[in-house]
Amino acid sequence: MSKSEICVDVQNVHKSFRRGIEVVDVLNGLNLQVHEKEFVSLMGPSGSGKTTLLNLIAGLDQPTTGSVYVRGDQISAMTESQLASWRTRTIGFVFQFYNLLPVLTAYRNVELPLLLLPLSASQRKQQVQTALDIVGLSDRLHHRPGQLSGGQQQRVGIARAIVTDPALIVADEPTGALDSKSADEILDLLGELRKSLNKTIIIVTHDPRAAARADREVHLDKGQLVATH
Amino acid sequence: MKYAFLIFETIRHNLIRTILTGLGTMVMVLVVTLVFTVLSALDRATTEKQKNLKAIVTEKWQIPSMMPYSYASALSQGGAAADDPDAARPEDAMSWGFFVGSTEENPAKRSFENLFFAFIMEPEKARTMLDEVDSLTDDEAQPLLAAIKRMKDVPNGVIVGQERLDKMKKKVGDRITVFGRNYRDMNLELEIVGTFPREPARYADSSVISRDYFNRQLDAYQNSHQNKPHPMAEKTLGLVWLRLKDRKTFSKVSEQILTSPSFTSPPVKIETSSTGIGGFLEAWRDIIWGMRWLMAPACLLTLSLVISNAISISVRERQLEFAVMKVMGFRPSQILILVLAEALLIGTISGFLSAALTYVAINGMGGLPFRIAFFPKFAVPLQAFWWGPAMGAITALAGSFIPAWRARTVKVSDVFARVT
Repeated sequence: MSKSEICVDVQNVHKSFRRGIEVVDVLNGLNLQVHEKEFVSLMGPSGSGKTTLLNLIAGLDQPTTGSVYVRGDQISAMTESQLASWRTRTIGFVFQFYNLLPVLTAYRNVELPLLLLPLSASQRKQQVQTALDIVGLSDRLHHRPGQLSGGQQQRVGIARAIVTDPALIVADEPTGALDSKSADEILDLLGELRKSLNKTIIIVTHDPRAAARADREVHLDKGQLVATH
Repeated sequence: MKYAFLIFETIRHNLIRTILTGLGTMVMVLVVTLVFTVLSALDRATTEKQKNLKAIVTEKWQIPSMMPYSYASALSQGGAAADDPDAARPEDAMSWGFFVGSTEENPAKRSFENLFFAFIMEPEKARTMLDEVDSLTDDEAQPLLAAIKRMKDVPNGVIVGQERLDKMKKKVGDRITVFGRNYRDMNLELEIVGTFPREPARYADSSVISRDYFNRQLDAYQNSHQNKPHPMAEKTLGLVWLRLKDRKTFSKVSEQILTSPSFTSPPVKIETSSTGIGGFLEAWRDIIWGMRWLMAPACLLTLSLVISNAISISVRERQLEFAVMKVMGFRPSQILILVLAEALLIGTISGFLSAALTYVAINGMGGLPFRIAFFPKFAVPLQAFWWGPAMGAITALAGSFIPAWRARTVKVSDVFARVT
């Protein structure tokens, strides 16, 4: 596989946190490559560093040492402001607990990332409607999160993640708060996004059934990559 | 502007916080608006003017000033000799005397309700010389103009402020008997011929009687007392107001009056009305200082703290929301601006509402009844419509800055801190 097809390239990353006087090493010299249009699941026991790795890939945190490249950009060297702008255009983030803004309707929640882009109101409207169409919620535009089921809220979360047409979607336990039927629907949707929209998808999950939907399962333990298949 | 819906929706859906912050802001803005109402009126009255200024001539060594009425004519000419073409002369003038009495004959039953306080003056000067009345349009001054016209036909006519009429339970057309207090044994039979306009409110408690009528009553007193004049007969001129073109004219008129041999027994002094009022307000200096430098700042500080507290609670509750926004790509500065804008909007709208309600309510009542010096009431000025929003906005910005900064510095990885 050529270098240009690599979407995410994590190179010898160390990440440690300070808790009081104690320094906790979460990632220890981890290397990982994710290719364009690949669907990767990150698995591992609690404390293995899955979410920390996901945060580094999404540009939400910086490695202590090592480098993280996403589509050729060394995000580990970017300033906070550069990262903010980069995230808007490159990353769609799906949360376990949806994290929709409770005061806004589904439409407004999905529109939120678009406010950061130089788009007219009509362009924003079109993109929001397209995103909500894709997730099958075009009839719930004006519902607030409290008026939607968990599965529907997660669909809105996914619509918000894809509305800027990012190349990479990262999801932190996207099915962790859902019943099995809703979880299946969300996993189907993620698979569809990869297939029809050519998105690269990385999910963190504890659920083997969710992990099995991915092209590749990556297992972490004690901050190191222990298996991949 | 495209973020406006986010601000409005957040304000709308945090109703309790919004209402409490708004109410706190309104109460504080109300208090400060009232304080500013008094202070601005006093400031206006004591600000030295360069043109179209008023000068006050009073007795030099005695308070209250009680000059002989024989001074009035010459002082009204600015002390200028009649045959001196180079002398400076006032553009207008007005003599003041004060009659204090009661509509109650029995001294034991006299009270504030039946008190009668009147300016003894040329009635037409009430239109051209009284502060704030002189700047009214003819339409605004219509009730007074009608009353002045009526006084020409009714020599014992009296113009009474609406509030005093209400207190005396009298109306225009009624007759009253007033029993003198500073002019003992002088009882006046008066007919109420009209009232002052509602604005300015400062004359709501005052009255005007004609100088000519009063002088005739002094003559009548003398005739009925074995040709013995009233003890106050030679002390009926309290002060003379002169309207002067500019400060140069004031200097010249001052020199004419102070060097004139006509005004030596008793001697007189002349000062601009702002200086005179300023001197008169000296007795209230500490209260005014406290209002200006303690009360108003304390209210504004309290208002900032109220807003700061409310916004701080809101920011703490919404840490996850700010973290999610950062994940989406919102920059720290944008989050700072969003929080500041929320506070600014609440502060500005609450401030405006408070000032508008204060304006309508207080002026509807005839002014703020805060008796200080000779100002019985203070009307809330139109400027309150920008004071209120400005106070709300500035205190909201000051109060919300620290919480907004905290929102700005929310660390996403800390908010989502879970090592899995």
